[in-house]
Amino acid sequence: MYICICEQVTDREIKAAINEGASSLRDLRNELGIAKECGQCGHCAKAMLKEHADHNRSERPPLPKQAPSCGSTDLFPLFGHAILASD
Amino acid sequence: MKSDLPTVKLLNRVLKNELTATNQFFLHARMYKNWGLNALNDHTYKASIKAMKQADDLIERVLFLEGLPNLQDLGKLLIGENTDEMLRGDVTLVTAMRTQLVEGIGHCESATDYVSRELLEDILEHTEDHMDWLETQLSLIDKVGSKNYLQAMM
Repeated sequence: MYICICEQVTDREIKAAINEGASSLRDLRNELGIAKECGQCGHCAKAMLKEHADHNRSERPPLPKQAPSCGSTDLFPLFGHAILASD
Repeated sequence: MKSDLPTVKLLNRVLKNELTATNQFFLHARMYKNWGLNALNDHTYKASIKAMKQADDLIERVLFLEGLPNLQDLGKLLIGENTDEMLRGDVTLVTAMRTQLVEGIGHCESATDYVSRELLEDILEHTEDHMDWLETQLSLIDKVGSKNYLQAMM
C-alpha cells in the first residue's frame, strides 16, 4: 500500500530502505523523499521504523517472547491505531 | 442554538473521518474503474458520495450548534496498490469510524443532545452496512481466489 501519497512511496519501498540501513525518519526523507510535503505519512513511517527496531531487539538471544517479524506483520491495525490516535 | 464545546468537537472529529472516507473511497473507486473493475467502482463511488452527504449533514449540524465545522483537517488516506489492499484499507478506516461513532453516540446521549445522536446513529448504520460489504468481499477473495473474484467484478 501507499504510505506517502505525495511522492508515491509504498510500504515495500520503505521496508527495503530500512533493511538497507535507514534508521531514522531523516534517512527515509533523504532517500525516498517522504514526509516532505504534507507530512501525513510521518506517523506511519515512524511506526515502521520502530517495528523494525523492536524486531531486531527481539532477535538477540535469549528472550522469552518472539516479536512478530516485519514480513508477516499486518500493517493495517497499526494504521487504524494511527487514525484514532491523531484525533 | 448554542451547544457545549465537547459536542461540537466530537462532531468535527466525525466530520474529519467522513471527509477522509469521501476522498479515500473516491480514489479507490476511480482506481477500480481505471483497471476495468466496474462493479467495484460502482459500489465504492456510491459509498464516497454517501460519505460526502453525511459530511454535509454534520456541517449543517455544527453550524446549527453555533460551532465552526472544520473542513481543513483530513486523516491519512489508506490507499492500496491492489484490490485486496484497497479493501483492507477501507475496512481499517470504517472500523476506526465505527469505534468513534459508538463513543460519540454515548456522549450525545449523556449530553441529552438527541438530534446529534440520531444523526450519528444514521451514519453508524451506513458505516456498518459498508463494513459488512467490505468483509464479504474479502471473504469472497478467500473463497474463490483473487483471479476469479476480479473476473466477477469486471
